[in-house]
Amino acid sequence: MNSRKALAAVFLMLFGTAALAQAPAPAAPPSWQQGRGAEQATSPLHPFAPHMTGRASKDLPVDKLKVPAGFKVEVWVDGIPEARSLALGDKGTVFVSNRLAKNVYAVVDKGGAREVKTLLKGLNAPNGIVFNKGTLYVAERHRITRYDGIEGSLDNVAEGKVVIDGLDPQNQPGHFWKFLALGPDGKLYYNVGAPGNIVMPSYFQAAISRVDPKTGIAEEYVQGVRNSVGFDWHPQTKQLWFTEHGRDWLGEESPSDELNVAKGKGQHFGYPYCHQGDTLDPEFGKGCDCKMYTPPVLKLGAHVAPLGMRFYTGKMFPAEYRNNIFIARHGSWNRSTKQGYDIYRVVLNENGKVMKSEPFLTGFLTDEKADPPMWGRPVDVLQMKDGSLLFSDDYNGILYRVSYSK
Amino acid sequence: MAAALCFSAGHRALAADPQLCAACHGPEGNSVIPANPSIAAQPEQSISIQLFQFREGNRKDAQMTPMAANLSNKEMNELAAYFSKQKAAAPPHKTSPENALAGPKLAQQFNCVQCHGPALRGQQHIPRLAGQQYEYLLAQLRKFKAQTRADLDGNMTSAAQPLTDKDIEILVDYAAGLSAQ
Repeated sequence: MNSRKALAAVFLMLFGTAALAQAPAPAAPPSWQQGRGAEQATSPLHPFAPHMTGRASKDLPVDKLKVPAGFKVEVWVDGIPEARSLALGDKGTVFVSNRLAKNVYAVVDKGGAREVKTLLKGLNAPNGIVFNKGTLYVAERHRITRYDGIEGSLDNVAEGKVVIDGLDPQNQPGHFWKFLALGPDGKLYYNVGAPGNIVMPSYFQAAISRVDPKTGIAEEYVQGVRNSVGFDWHPQTKQLWFTEHGRDWLGEESPSDELNVAKGKGQHFGYPYCHQGDTLDPEFGKGCDCKMYTPPVLKLGAHVAPLGMRFYTGKMFPAEYRNNIFIARHGSWNRSTKQGYDIYRVVLNENGKVMKSEPFLTGFLTDEKADPPMWGRPVDVLQMKDGSLLFSDDYNGILYRVSYSK
Repeated sequence: MAAALCFSAGHRALAADPQLCAACHGPEGNSVIPANPSIAAQPEQSISIQLFQFREGNRKDAQMTPMAANLSNKEMNELAAYFSKQKAAAPPHKTSPENALAGPKLAQQFNCVQCHGPALRGQQHIPRLAGQQYEYLLAQLRKFKAQTRADLDGNMTSAAQPLTDKDIEILVDYAAGLSAQ
């Protein structure tokens, strides 16, 4: 240990995480480049950033969006910068979150005219939101808070109450944003991603955990999950289904991103040792066997970036859509021929087995070789009371509505 | 009351006027003040994101913070579209012969070209460095290294950490002298 490291260790002992937060950030490369091989050093591939000021839907080729016959897609509301996760209130308020920006928005539908209110400001990567029994829960990078009676106080929100804090003790450089959902057990489920592309996570990272909002007591639910930004429970089996992003810089076609099912607490889904259920990591997989880990139930495609997912339980869409899964695929960057950028449909049988999967809504991807290749990026899906489907697009700050009529 | 309203409305109209930006950023956005960046021929998204960062208080500056405070998203997009379409002037800076050789190697080694492009002309939300004001670039890179410059996603802060003071001087001398088009 050199003297600088020794000094850092002393500071850490004295001041704990407060000192850590002040410590210099890790040296280059940026977290998205971590794990890139020397032969890829001149790769032009890079992630895309949203238009933080949003773009007006009238300036965009919205008429290029395609849905199956009988379905219709339209802009529901625009002007919500970096629109990410969605949640629906009992009184019809649609809540919209941010990841790189700091706000949570409320969209109030006034019979066709929709008003966007900035509900919460100055939060720290407030990507995760869920609504239950009058309360809006918000997951920031470091904590989960609750805002009770939120729909009665949209113009004057009281300070949130902390459900749990200390979720990001190391100020991790990558995958620090959280998805949040309410389980059938009444607990709040959230991801803690891996702190880089391909690194050994610490004991609480690369996991989906749950906290009891009544007691604030948390526990790890499943592990070996690189990063999940979407999950939901099967309406009948009540099992947790979740999307997962595979690692980057291992090739154009591998590994695939995943759709997983957790049959109960304690399962390990492979990261960082085994990818897509059958491919050992060249570095971390040494001495491992993929049989030790739970494989995905469906491979969603390399680098497609599946984000929000919901089971469809509404009555508006045809009967064959009941209990299907809709997945927002944000779209690939770590691949020279781009793919994803769609709403993807997964059909299950009555036992919850995957029968088929296909793109449901396409048209954001305009040129798979261009940079950027798309004009919009789906992030989350939300079933409305009438059975229509909303989805968000963080690239432009727009929500779209998909409806069906015979 | 009426006067206050008139002032407020007039101020907003002025705030979105490109001519007001030109007072500090130079004719058509080509800066002639060493500490101020050129915004002409910058990628459109890179301009709108920085205006957003100033308005949201993530990036702070005595001049820019109040300028951005009253701009709507639409006005920011309009200003970004306008300046992105202006022609860049010839670079005001001349790179030293030794840094013209050392610069490209460092730009490769420290991942600059990954995001800013092989000729450092920027793309999408990533700004053009080629032909940018030397003093401005130097100040920004030093701030990224010191972790005091706002950063949308942490990438620049992270990329600047391994740079020595000498590396920063070489990179800035190199980039500031490159042609912008």
